[in-house]
Amino acid sequence: MNIIQIVGFALIAAVLGVVLRREKPELAILVGVAAGAAIFLAMIGKIGVAVEVFDRIATRAGLNFVYLDTVLKIVGIAYIADFGAQMCRDAGEGALAVKVEFAAKVLILVLALPIIVGLLDLLLKLVGQQ
Amino acid sequence: MNNIDLIFRIAGVGILTAVLHSTLKHAGKEDLAHLATLAGVAIVLIWVIQLLGTLFSEVQSVFKLF
Repeated sequence: MNIIQIVGFALIAAVLGVVLRREKPELAILVGVAAGAAIFLAMIGKIGVAVEVFDRIATRAGLNFVYLDTVLKIVGIAYIADFGAQMCRDAGEGALAVKVEFAAKVLILVLALPIIVGLLDLLLKLVGQQ
Repeated sequence: MNNIDLIFRIAGVGILTAVLHSTLKHAGKEDLAHLATLAGVAIVLIWVIQLLGTLFSEVQSVFKLF
């Protein structure tokens, strides 16, 4: 799955999208969505390998697993939100895209709270207040 | 890229519905033309939603999102 196949695939999808845009704009958007999803599906295997390597490094380094899982979740949320927001922008719905990104920011903030609390506890312990 | 045929199928259905729409319109059956367009969009939507379903389940399994 090298880059040439990906770029070829994206070009074909773009051209077909333009062909359809004049007659049927809604189908052009669906071609874009399908192409984006297909390209990511091709890359999902490699991302899985990278995540496994991070897991192995974390276990060897004895890191606390909660933080790694949270970071992984945040990356996943960020990616899906970006995918959705870009698709909304392609369809011309800028306001909807901003709402999707806002929801993603809230979800990520909620997920990041435990890490922030842990960090503050650590700092207080270092300073010796607690 | 095993999904390349899906993209060609979508483009094929899209062009087919566009042609069908214009021929039906010239034949004077305006309502039938709109129905044909709706059918084409529905078929393509089903394919795309199936693809998105697999995408989102893959992302959930890789990023442990559930």
